[in-house]
Amino acid sequence: MALTRFLVLLAAAALFAASPASAAEDALLRAAKKEGKVTWYTAVSLPVAQEICKKFMGKHPGVECIVHRDGSGKLYQRYLQEDKGNIHVADVYHTSNYGHYLILKDKHLLPYQPKGTEKFNASFVTKHHAWTILRAAVLVPFYNTKKVSAADAPKSWKDLADPKWKDRMVHSHPAYSGFVTNGMLLNIKNHGQDYYKKLAANKPKIVQSALASIPLVARGEADVGAGTVSYGLFEAISKGEPLKVVIPTEGVPLVSSPNAILKKAPHPNAAKLFTDYMFSLEAQQVFANRFLYVGHPGVKYPKGLPTLDELKLEVIDPEVIKKENKNMQNLFRKLFGV
Amino acid sequence: MQAQLSLPARRGRDFTTLFWVAIAVVLVILILNPIFYLFKESFTAQGDAGGWTLMNYVEAFSNPLYYSPIVATLWISLSVGVISLVVGAALAWCVSRTDIPMASMIRNLILASFVTPPFLGAIAWIFLAGPREGWLNDIYRFVAFAGGESYLFNIFSLGGVVFAISLYTFPLVFIVVMAALNNVSSDIEDAANIAGGGTFSTMLNITLPLVLPALFAGFIMAVLEAMILFGTPAILAIPARMHVMTTQLRAFMASEDNLVGLASAYSMPMLVVAVWLIYSRGRVLGKRGFATLGGKGGQRRPQKLGAWRYPVFVLCLIPLVCAVMLPYISLLLTSFMRTLGGGLTWGNMTFANYVFMWNNDAVWSSLGNTLVLAVVSATAAAGLAGVIAYISQRRIVWGHQYMSFLATLPIAIPGIVLAVGLFAAYTKKPFVLYGTLWIMFFAYLTKYLPLAFQTSNAALMSVHPELEECSRILGANRIRVFRDVTIPLFKVGLVASWILVFMPSLRELSASVLLWTTNTKVISVVIIDLYEENLLGPISALGVVLLLITLVAILAGFRLAGRDFMKA
Repeated sequence: MALTRFLVLLAAAALFAASPASAAEDALLRAAKKEGKVTWYTAVSLPVAQEICKKFMGKHPGVECIVHRDGSGKLYQRYLQEDKGNIHVADVYHTSNYGHYLILKDKHLLPYQPKGTEKFNASFVTKHHAWTILRAAVLVPFYNTKKVSAADAPKSWKDLADPKWKDRMVHSHPAYSGFVTNGMLLNIKNHGQDYYKKLAANKPKIVQSALASIPLVARGEADVGAGTVSYGLFEAISKGEPLKVVIPTEGVPLVSSPNAILKKAPHPNAAKLFTDYMFSLEAQQVFANRFLYVGHPGVKYPKGLPTLDELKLEVIDPEVIKKENKNMQNLFRKLFGV
Repeated sequence: MQAQLSLPARRGRDFTTLFWVAIAVVLVILILNPIFYLFKESFTAQGDAGGWTLMNYVEAFSNPLYYSPIVATLWISLSVGVISLVVGAALAWCVSRTDIPMASMIRNLILASFVTPPFLGAIAWIFLAGPREGWLNDIYRFVAFAGGESYLFNIFSLGGVVFAISLYTFPLVFIVVMAALNNVSSDIEDAANIAGGGTFSTMLNITLPLVLPALFAGFIMAVLEAMILFGTPAILAIPARMHVMTTQLRAFMASEDNLVGLASAYSMPMLVVAVWLIYSRGRVLGKRGFATLGGKGGQRRPQKLGAWRYPVFVLCLIPLVCAVMLPYISLLLTSFMRTLGGGLTWGNMTFANYVFMWNNDAVWSSLGNTLVLAVVSATAAAGLAGVIAYISQRRIVWGHQYMSFLATLPIAIPGIVLAVGLFAAYTKKPFVLYGTLWIMFFAYLTKYLPLAFQTSNAALMSVHPELEECSRILGANRIRVFRDVTIPLFKVGLVASWILVFMPSLRELSASVLLWTTNTKVISVVIIDLYEENLLGPISALGVVLLLITLVAILAGFRLAGRDFMKA
């Protein structure tokens, strides 16, 4: 049995090696090695980014993988600033702000279909191939189990507007977190702008990134968080923080984080090789282990993470995000003061 | 009087003038280049088209949304200025002039507060004085039998921001005043004592007026430092739903359209305030320079505090407990916590945060970058500042009065805005420095030159030109005089200005955050990164390790700098 399987594999490998695709791959590998390195502008958290790079370098010795981690907004600002100064550092660009990709699409992004993504979940791939979704997560409310009983906990986004949460809530800022912008668009669609007036009356503490709300609730400085990113929350829970996720009845916004190769990448071949790697099962599993949703059908998700089918997903049209981004920030500024 | 004495007698024939002119040119390029680009950006329309416009100014100052940050910044800077002045000057006097116990420990703690990144202190103070879960409020509720929701301190407030900034700003005043006090010999104070003045009336009537230039300089530095600080308000004011000018600037630049022009225009009031402060300082102190360090020997002796010795000691400790001891205790405790919500129990204890830091390559390389930058920037700034102070006080080249002004100007440019100017200035030929440590070096040098200059200038003010004139009469040229007479006389001032640049360079955030690239990351950027990734445990561990490293560095520095430097 084992022998048969081995023989089949061998035969497959031989067939594969003889195919022209493989010759192209060899050429890519050679060209990538000649370039010697790839720089990844990435908004995924540093430990994940470092793990991906390390594994990539283990697989392709001779191509150095350099992580440049920062927030989505700051990476965008940096990229534009560098481009304006005619300096090109980044090869591969990965952030959580879908709207930025729409802006960058024609002038800055190189269409490329990563190997194997034909079989991916359809919502993770694009027809134009200017980018492919590397990972996704949802925005969810959460609370501190030491401070709030399950019966008392919010069940919906709407519950957060209840005056009982006055001075007990933390909210992240839409200018720093694309997730929050998605949440605002969803809540305004369901409950109108009035919802945010009520939320503002509860005087929540405002933090910048969506992740930054987690420690405040974990420590009990706030009892409930009006939305954070699922992967950060599940990671904190798996570490033992006294937190619990709320699956709101109205549904949760699904936020997809694209990955793209830049047209002016100084190492275009290494960029392609690296991009292929990121969409391989091995790399996709690294993301999944960190409670992120990915497009590869073969990955196994950790325990405790609800599957995407179990959630009522709300996908906000990127064009709407692009159009409403500034309005949401202005509305937030008007109502919350910052 | 002084003016006449210091006019160079043989200007036309002194070939060393070339050297002074060269220094002047370096200064002009260094300071004016980024400022020029800042102005240019403020008049440039947003978008690809660009073009000349006034709209940035119209938008920045006609939209009522942007008024409240200006008011908040004004309040915060003035309050911080006054608090830092009182605390810093009082501590400097106690340490320098009295027989207070454990003076060297007080001095070291002050320096420890000075090397603490203010945003790290702010994070620690959330643990301590968060209204609902801060440990100090827990203690208050326990002691006062107060109800579950009542609290004594709320760090998320205007007062909290002022408090948290003052804690890490008063050392500026301390160091400047200390350097000045060390140059006042006890002869004058003795004279007052003999004439019947007590310890405190001598301080008020004799010592205080003598160090007035340093006090004023320290006050201005504290006000401006508070005005341009970004990290602390971002961590403490934003949660309380308040913007200050720097967080508003950051918001402009982080916005979808990257509103650099608007940000540049919005930062102009800070430049104006700085120009005005520097100018008024000149007006107030113009005729009040006291040359106290003459050719005749003087010595310093501590004033006796008598029965007040220990009460004063306890008073001196209060700011240090708040700035150093409490925050680092809370960081130390947090660094051993497995989960933030688990509290202080044995079951929640871990070394994982230290292991995480130890194994992280980014931490090590950024630590190296930080140290290199701090040493090089401090050396360059102290050298340049010393020479500029000399040029401007001895009026060596044409336009010397503008040089002291130029050297002080960058103090009012918020790091974020300065970084924009630097980026624009040093990504174009002939200066393509982006992606190297050089651009960060220029940022640090430009940003901290004022600190070094103020210190050198205050120190040099007390060096009477009579000694230099002596050597000039005997035939030495200016450079020789500067090297052999002036430098030894104001060595203390130079060392103080070196330290004054070195320490904040270790914690610089606002310019670095825009200029760092993959290979030039510095430690403060690492900390902010971790903060945004919600890794408070590792931040605490890193904070504790950083404090230990810098304390060792300070102690080693004292060994090296010798007994002259800030001897208690």
